Amino acid sequence: MYHRFDLDGKANGVWLSRLGNGYQLQVEGGWHGAVALAEDRPGQGHLTIDGERVPVAYALDGDVIHIHCGGRAYALHYVDPLAAFARAGDDSGLNVARAPMPGVVVAVKVAPGDEVLAGTVLMVIESMKLETSIRAPQDGIVEKIHVKAGDSFDRDALLATLLQENG
Amino acid sequence: MGRPSLPFDSVLIANRGEIAVRIIRTLRELGLRSIVVYHEVDALAPAVALADEAIRITGRTPVAAYLDGDQILTVAKEAKAGALHPGYGFLSENASFARAVEAAGIVFVGPGVDAIELMGDKIRARAFVAKNGFPVAPSAIEEDAPSTFLQRARAIGAPLLVKPSAGGGGKGMRIVRDLDLLEDAVTEARSEGERYFGDGRLYIERFVERPRHIEVQVLGDAMGNVVHLYERECSVQRRFQKIIEETPSPGLTAEERERICATAAGIARAAGYRNAGTVEFIYGGGAFYFLEMNTRLQVEHPVTEMTTGLDLVAEQIKIAAGLPLEFNQAQVTSSGHSIEARLYAEAPDRDFAPTTGKVLALRYPEGDGVRIDSGIAQGQSITTAFDPMLAKIIVHAPSRDEAIVKAREAIANFVFLGCESNAAFLSRILGDDLFKAGAVHTGYLDENPAIATGGADDDAIMRQLLAVAALLTRPVRDAADAVPPLHARLQGWRN
Repeated sequence: MYHRFDLDGKANGVWLSRLGNGYQLQVEGGWHGAVALAEDRPGQGHLTIDGERVPVAYALDGDVIHIHCGGRAYALHYVDPLAAFARAGDDSGLNVARAPMPGVVVAVKVAPGDEVLAGTVLMVIESMKLETSIRAPQDGIVEKIHVKAGDSFDRDALLATLLQENG
Repeated sequence: MGRPSLPFDSVLIANRGEIAVRIIRTLRELGLRSIVVYHEVDALAPAVALADEAIRITGRTPVAAYLDGDQILTVAKEAKAGALHPGYGFLSENASFARAVEAAGIVFVGPGVDAIELMGDKIRARAFVAKNGFPVAPSAIEEDAPSTFLQRARAIGAPLLVKPSAGGGGKGMRIVRDLDLLEDAVTEARSEGERYFGDGRLYIERFVERPRHIEVQVLGDAMGNVVHLYERECSVQRRFQKIIEETPSPGLTAEERERICATAAGIARAAGYRNAGTVEFIYGGGAFYFLEMNTRLQVEHPVTEMTTGLDLVAEQIKIAAGLPLEFNQAQVTSSGHSIEARLYAEAPDRDFAPTTGKVLALRYPEGDGVRIDSGIAQGQSITTAFDPMLAKIIVHAPSRDEAIVKAREAIANFVFLGCESNAAFLSRILGDDLFKAGAVHTGYLDENPAIATGGADDDAIMRQLLAVAALLTRPVRDAADAVPPLHARLQGWRN
C-alpha cells in the first residue's frame, strides 16, 4: 500500500524507505531514487534528489504540505488511508452539498427534515459579487445545514447534508 | 533632498492593503505622522503594524467600513489629521466625500471637487474632451437628432459598435463591419435594448479592433502647471481587470508616444487639473481616443516611478500642500523599462475564482531594480472580503527584454505559501511569445485561454514535490523508519 498525496485533484502514490543513513522514494508506477532534505532555516532548505540539489521552501498546515519549488507554489494533500476509508462511505458522494468556491451565505432556504428533490435550492451564496444557488444534488431529506446566513466559508466547505430516503 | 515645509504634520490614509503601506513609506520619508483606519479583519495587516497610529472602524461588512465616509471623517477629526489620502478605489473618487473632508478643514490629497465631478460623469467628461478639441471615438447619439441617426452613423464609417444607450454588460451590442448591415443591426439592438432595459434608444461609435489600453500619468499643481510622466500600457487584462502593466508601451512609435502624452497633458490643463491623475485612451489602428480620466493615484503608478525616478505620493502630498511642481516637462525623463505584475488570490485555471487561506510562508525577492509593494504579512488570513490583489511585483531594467527576464525571476523567487495565487499564470504570460513580442490588446487573454490553464507539471517537478512531501509527512517517515533497510531494498515491498 502506497502513501497518497493529492495534487490538483490527482492522487499520487509514494513509498518511502530507509536507504543506508538516508531515504529512498518509490513513486507508484515509476521512478525511484535517493532523496534527502536539508533544512537551512525553518521552512526553507535544499532537496537532494538523484544527486541534484534543489532549493525549496515549505509550510505544513494539517494534512496540507505547501511547497515552493521550481519557481512556484504547490499544495499537496496527504490522504491518511484510514480517514479516506472512513469518509468514502458518507461524505464524498451525492448526499452532501459543498461550496464550489469561497463566499458568504446569503440565505438558507431549507431546514433539517425538509424533503427536497434534486435541483431544489438549498441556499443562496454570494461569491465574486455574484449570487449563486446551491441546489440539492439528489432527492432526499435535509439532515443538517452546516452554515447560517452571514457565515463565510472556504472552497469545498460542507454546506448541507442530505439523507437518502431509500438509502 | 531636504524635507519640504508642509502646512500639516499628519496624514490619515483612508485605505488598506498594499497602497496603505506604500503611502506610509512616503509619509515617513517626508517626516509626517501616518494614521490608518482598519476593519478588524485587517488587524494583522502590515499597514496597521507600520503606521504611527491605527484606528479601528466598523461596518456591516469589511468593505462597508472602508466606504463609510462619515465614520472615517469623524476618526480623522478626532485623530487631528492634517490631511487625508484616499489611495485608490473606496472613497478616492467620491466628490461629496472630498468636499466633506475639505469642509472639515482637512487637506484632501487629490484633485479639486470640480475635477472629480467632471471626470466622474463619463458622458460629461467625453463631451468636455471633445469640446476642447481632443480625440474621442467618433460617435452618433440617437437622441441628439433621431431623424439623422443612421446617416450620422454611416458618416463615421465601419467598423461600428451599436449599443443601447441604457445598456451595460455587453447586452444588445452589435459590431457592424459592413455598412449594408447597419439597419438590421440597429433593429436587432433596439429590440434587445427594449427587452433588457425597457429603453430602445441607441448609441453608435467607431469600433476599435483589438484595442490597446494606454494611459498617461499627469501631475498638475495649484499654480496651473501641468506635466505628463509618460504612458503606461495596461492591455493585459481579464474581465476588465489589469494584470500586467508596463512603461514604455511596446506598441507606440516615438511620435505616437509624444502625441498621446501631449494630448493627456492638454486634457488635464483644460480641466484645470490639480494633483496626480491618469488619462486613459483606447488605441488601435494608429488612432487613439479618450476613454476616461481617473482622478486618483493608480494601482500601477510604480512603473512610472521606476522609469522617472519620481515619488508620486510625495508629489501628491506637496501639491495638496499648495507647493509648486519642482520641475517642468523638459526635466521629466523616462529611462529604461518597467513592468508590474499583480499577485492575486485567485485560480486562473478555475475561471479566476477567488482563493482563500492563510499566509504560512512569505519571502520577497530581492535585487537591483526589484520592488515589492505588498499588503500581506505572515499569519494573515486571506479572505474574499476584499479585492483579491495581494501584492505587486515591480521591476526596472535597461530594456524590455531584460525587464521581462527580471520579472519572471522575481516571481519565481517570491515565496508565498498558504493560499493559491495567480503567480504561475503571471509567469506564463511573461513567457508567452505574443507578450514578448509586445503584441497584446485588451482581448489577448481571452483569445489565448491556454495561458490561464497552463500545462501539466513535468515529471521532474512532480518527483521533487512528492519527495519533499514524503520527507515532511510524519506517518510516511515513521513507516520508513519502522522497516529495516534490508526489506526496504526489495522492490515492490508491500505491507
